[in-house]
Amino acid sequence: MFNRRTFVIVKRELQSRLFSKSFILMTLLIPLFMFGMIGFQTFVYTYDSGKGTTLRVAVPNDQIRERMQDSFSKLEVVKSGDYKVVFDTLSGKTAQEYVEDYRKVLVEEKLTGLFVVPDSALIDKRILYYSSNPNNTAVFDKVRSSLNEVLINVFFKDKQLSPKEKEFVQKRVNVDGFRINKNAEIEEESAGNIIISFVFTFFLYFSLIMIGTNLMRAVVEEKSNKIVEVLLSSVSARELMTGKILGTTITGLVQMAIWLSPVILLVTTNWFTLPKEFVIKIEPWVIGYFLYNFLISLVTYLGLFAAIGAMFDSDQDAQSGIWPIMITIMVPFFIALGLVQRGDNDISKITSMVPLLSLIVMPARIALVNVPWWQIALSIAVNLGTLLSLFPLAGKIYRVGILATGKKATYKDVVKWLKFKY
Amino acid sequence: MHALEVKHLKKRFDGITAVDDVSFTVPEGSIFGLIGRNGAGKTTILRMIMNIFLPDDGEVLVRGNLAGNEFREHTGYLPEERGLYKKLKVLETILFFAELKNKRGKEVEQLAVDYLKRFELYDRKNSKLEDLSKGNQQKVQFISTIIHDPEFIVLDEPFSGLDPLNTNLLREIILDLKKRGKVIIFSTHLMDFAERMCDTITMVDKGKVILSGNLNSIKADFAQRTVKLNYGGSIDFLHGNEFIESVTDFGQSATLKVKDDKYIKEVLRILVEKNVDIYSFVSNEITLHEIFVALAGEEQDGINGKGGAHV
Repeated sequence: MFNRRTFVIVKRELQSRLFSKSFILMTLLIPLFMFGMIGFQTFVYTYDSGKGTTLRVAVPNDQIRERMQDSFSKLEVVKSGDYKVVFDTLSGKTAQEYVEDYRKVLVEEKLTGLFVVPDSALIDKRILYYSSNPNNTAVFDKVRSSLNEVLINVFFKDKQLSPKEKEFVQKRVNVDGFRINKNAEIEEESAGNIIISFVFTFFLYFSLIMIGTNLMRAVVEEKSNKIVEVLLSSVSARELMTGKILGTTITGLVQMAIWLSPVILLVTTNWFTLPKEFVIKIEPWVIGYFLYNFLISLVTYLGLFAAIGAMFDSDQDAQSGIWPIMITIMVPFFIALGLVQRGDNDISKITSMVPLLSLIVMPARIALVNVPWWQIALSIAVNLGTLLSLFPLAGKIYRVGILATGKKATYKDVVKWLKFKY
Repeated sequence: MHALEVKHLKKRFDGITAVDDVSFTVPEGSIFGLIGRNGAGKTTILRMIMNIFLPDDGEVLVRGNLAGNEFREHTGYLPEERGLYKKLKVLETILFFAELKNKRGKEVEQLAVDYLKRFELYDRKNSKLEDLSKGNQQKVQFISTIIHDPEFIVLDEPFSGLDPLNTNLLREIILDLKKRGKVIIFSTHLMDFAERMCDTITMVDKGKVILSGNLNSIKADFAQRTVKLNYGGSIDFLHGNEFIESVTDFGQSATLKVKDDKYIKEVLRILVEKNVDIYSFVSNEITLHEIFVALAGEEQDGINGKGGAHV
């Protein structure tokens, strides 16, 4: 399988991929795109300063109204004039009765929102918010501290609390995460590992889809351009497929190494110092594991992409035929992203050991939590087993497919192909 | 020993037998034609010779040994459906195909340059294939097929889709290779063309061999019982005649097949007696097309006696 002819194909693949303009372009663009996406989200969030927000806060009595006014006036958004807040007393009206008067302006969005602090709130801290867009968490985030402060102050007003006690009561609970590792050291957790987990997942996902689709296109091109039969008079289908996948894999690994080089340098050297909250705490073997896992993922998926490419004569048909493969990349991608938000859970534990899904979920888990050794070993075994059992099937589909012409192949035909002697 | 020997090849696809127990031999230093309608199984046979398809049964021997990688290395193959990498440059393309056949270095580069000069493509050696005209792309394809100086050349419907200029060029290449002692095997449905070039032929129909052997002796065999006639009047009375096996009447010309060559004189006598105007009466000429029709029957399309490429 690995011989001189395979090598010629590998060489040709490297020439057309590694030394192409599109390789350089994509290698630069994907990280830009990724960080651009994060940056864009942050930008959108911060850009929304809430300028022009008008609020009305209705409280049970004048005494509380004054406290509210006082507390709100200390808020940044009020000081800057972005939020205009009007205070009012309910003077015996129920919340519904009070809101009725403002229904029209709320619907027309002349008034952004209306907070009603009923009497009961002084005991259970439940206040009501009326708006045409009541899910605008940005508003709550900005005014929550003032509302809380007033309610606490009113609740404790008859008790003599020292300023220290008051401060304690008003303070929110802060949770600092610590990572427990097998060396029994306890380290403070930072955002670094979350970022790394995200970076791993993102690069893996994009690389598989991008490189896989590229290979699929190349296979479709060779088939539809009728180059393939000329090639097959010199190399066997097995050699051709091996050469193509090997060449593409090398390209993918080089690209990934370039993408990860900042992370590799951060972990293995002390040339750079990151702010404390972004320090990356992964051991160098994790990077090694990630690259190994990437290699296995690439070879597995490239086999599948090549097989699908061989089934079709046109890019469009191939794109629509690839969906079963795409699902096995997208599902674990979202599970891995969910890990970053919700932490390790049963779904991520199980899928990190399921064929194909494991390839994307496990690296994200390893970056975030201490995965037991047996689970890592099991996932490696599962992945190797998947590769070894899928590759011969993909090879057969490829061999039959690249020379099949005529009507568009269906998955039913493919099952028949698997029985052919080629 | 035969240059190439095909023994009992069989291939089925999805319940259909494409090639059914096909055997033939190809002598050294000759041009061999595999002849049949479209869909007769020619391409499948050639693909099995090239090891692109594995036969369900049977084997291909090259000078007595099973055909393997070594045979492929010394063979130039030009499939019917051919293509090149559009983005690759002319010289790169040729050298890539040479390298696949284990030829690289100064020598093969020089050979490539020689061919490019001979085919008037030297000034385009650094152009991308997609920038070349279709005719020029075909030239690059020919050069790529023979750049490694193969001993065997296997061509599947080589003249389909070629412009007249390239048809001539390919014919020259084939004759040149023959002079140098190479073995040329090609498939075609163009009888005219096969008739002019082949030393040996094998006819296939519906996956089976219907005729095989040296072209001249095949023609001599068939010609003895065949009469080609150009006439005026009616020859309807010949149908059912005791001396005649079959009549293919075109109105003004006809091909008659007699039951034995000794009856030819009788047929001429009857025609004269019946007052038929005879413009020509040739009793020793038959075309490959006529032989094919006699054996496999006429079919609407697929077989082509004239037309197509002119060689």
